[in-house]
Amino acid sequence: MRRTLLLLAGAILVLIAAIIGRMVFQPGPYSFAGGTEVDLASYPNGAALTGVPAELASTDPRARAEYVTRMADCEACHTAKGGKPFAGGRPFVLPFGTIYTPNITPDPETGIGKWTDAQFLKAVHQGIAPDGTRFYPAFPYASYTMLTDADVLAIKSYLFSLPPVKQANKSNTFGFPFNQRWLMGIWSSFFNSDRRFRPIRERDAAWNRGAYLVEAAGHCGECHTPRNLMQAMDQHNKFAGGQAEGWNAYNITGDRTSGIGGWSDAEIAAYLSTGHAPGRGVASGPMSEAVGLSLSKLTPSDIAAIVTYLRTVPAIRSDRLPQPAGPAPASPKLASIDNPVGKRMFEGNCASCHAWTGAGAIFDEARLTGVRSVNDPTAANVASMILNGAGQPGTGRPYMPSFAAAYSDAEVAAVANYVTARFGAKGSSITPKEVAELRRN
Amino acid sequence: MLEFTINGEKHQADVPPDMPLLWVLRDVLGMTGTKFGCGIAQCGACTVHLDGVAVRSCQLPAGRVGDRAITTIEGVGNTPAGAKIQKAWIDLEVIQCGYCQPGQIMSAAALLASNPAPDDSDIDAAMAGNICRCGTYVRIREGIKHAARS
Repeated sequence: MRRTLLLLAGAILVLIAAIIGRMVFQPGPYSFAGGTEVDLASYPNGAALTGVPAELASTDPRARAEYVTRMADCEACHTAKGGKPFAGGRPFVLPFGTIYTPNITPDPETGIGKWTDAQFLKAVHQGIAPDGTRFYPAFPYASYTMLTDADVLAIKSYLFSLPPVKQANKSNTFGFPFNQRWLMGIWSSFFNSDRRFRPIRERDAAWNRGAYLVEAAGHCGECHTPRNLMQAMDQHNKFAGGQAEGWNAYNITGDRTSGIGGWSDAEIAAYLSTGHAPGRGVASGPMSEAVGLSLSKLTPSDIAAIVTYLRTVPAIRSDRLPQPAGPAPASPKLASIDNPVGKRMFEGNCASCHAWTGAGAIFDEARLTGVRSVNDPTAANVASMILNGAGQPGTGRPYMPSFAAAYSDAEVAAVANYVTARFGAKGSSITPKEVAELRRN
Repeated sequence: MLEFTINGEKHQADVPPDMPLLWVLRDVLGMTGTKFGCGIAQCGACTVHLDGVAVRSCQLPAGRVGDRAITTIEGVGNTPAGAKIQKAWIDLEVIQCGYCQPGQIMSAAALLASNPAPDDSDIDAAMAGNICRCGTYVRIREGIKHAARS
């Protein structure tokens, strides 16, 4: 009897160790590709895989530095809504409290004006501030660590060319034990490789350039890869879908149903560079910022390299994302949906652009048919879209207003559930409380 | 140079393709019957027909019209449904201040053309996106039913 208990306890311990081991010992971000990692110097023309693409190699240094800064998309996080670019202050609401991004303009008192090159490298590669305190991994140094020294210093030179903005950093609101920044040292020892990008010898230059853009600079996995219990990217489920500020960052693996395996190269390229591909919806929320501030500024060759790389990411099926539904009937009346408030909201606010079929009444950007957000049974992105809207009016680009001020949580939930029921495969049951949560982001 | 077919006539306009059709109609071609309300497709005042379908012209880039036929309030009276709606509007004195009414008539005419006998729920579905500051909704509903009966 005692022997059996001991054996059982042993087995449980081994299981726990295996689970922790799997969590802690993560595969590299592109180890799925196999092959041999080599130094940049030993890859043919390896330096061209980093920095700016060849067609920009002869532009002036500031333009090149700006391009590298766009590649890494520093501006999106380091700018508050309506605030000065790069001056920080943007809140991120996390389960442990709210964290505010810091000022990275060259102001000597409130920004990074006094930082040396070595200090800036240490911050971006290792997540350590000049005074030795640790940054939280909300700052994606686990990705940026792969950037070359030259590219990190190019970013620094661009930031230092900007006008300094005097704006004090806000302190975060984390409680114990999450306010113990030294713990991030332990986190980093497991989850930050602190290794620069190494190309795969067997892969061509476009693939390796794509890997550098996606993994090091673009840090796509920070939102599109789910996080484990330790809040690190779970590379076992690489690009299978994560979260960002209440939005679902969808599966971008090669799975045909829940990922982008069914998208053509041209569709992926159009989505990345313009925020829309016909029938694929529009980049919204954090992704619209990634497109607007970063991806839309990249050259066609770099977008093509990203597509080349993404195409090779192994397919992972997200079970919660069903095969998208086809077009809805033209008739507004659907006996299967008992949601009078949602229907009233839809007919007054939505139908004139989206149409009762979901085909889009004015432009393809408003098409709901086949779009993942309306087929996502959480309705998180539908509700976030209703709250935030999309685009800017008067730009000649499609625009959707924010309905956050006009409608209550219950009304937003009702219309979100109406939209997923009418146009999606499964329907949703998002609650007013969940909508209230989304408003906080 | 973009080419449009409006109320059966060809028009040309030297406008950027991202200019909203409403601006082309009002500011370039001088067809001011179609009204500007909100500019964000939320009020319906700018409604026109594209191949008979009601569309908000304030959000429609001119370059995306293509070869679809445009009908505006200036020409809708030449369509059977449009003529019935306009007569009903006069018979019942639907209009109060009138600013939203070109859009109301365009939406109502498109509804009647696709559905000759709309019930209340059909009218809600087709007309809820057209806002009337004077609150003529009851008369609009009556007008559509009156036109359907005629």
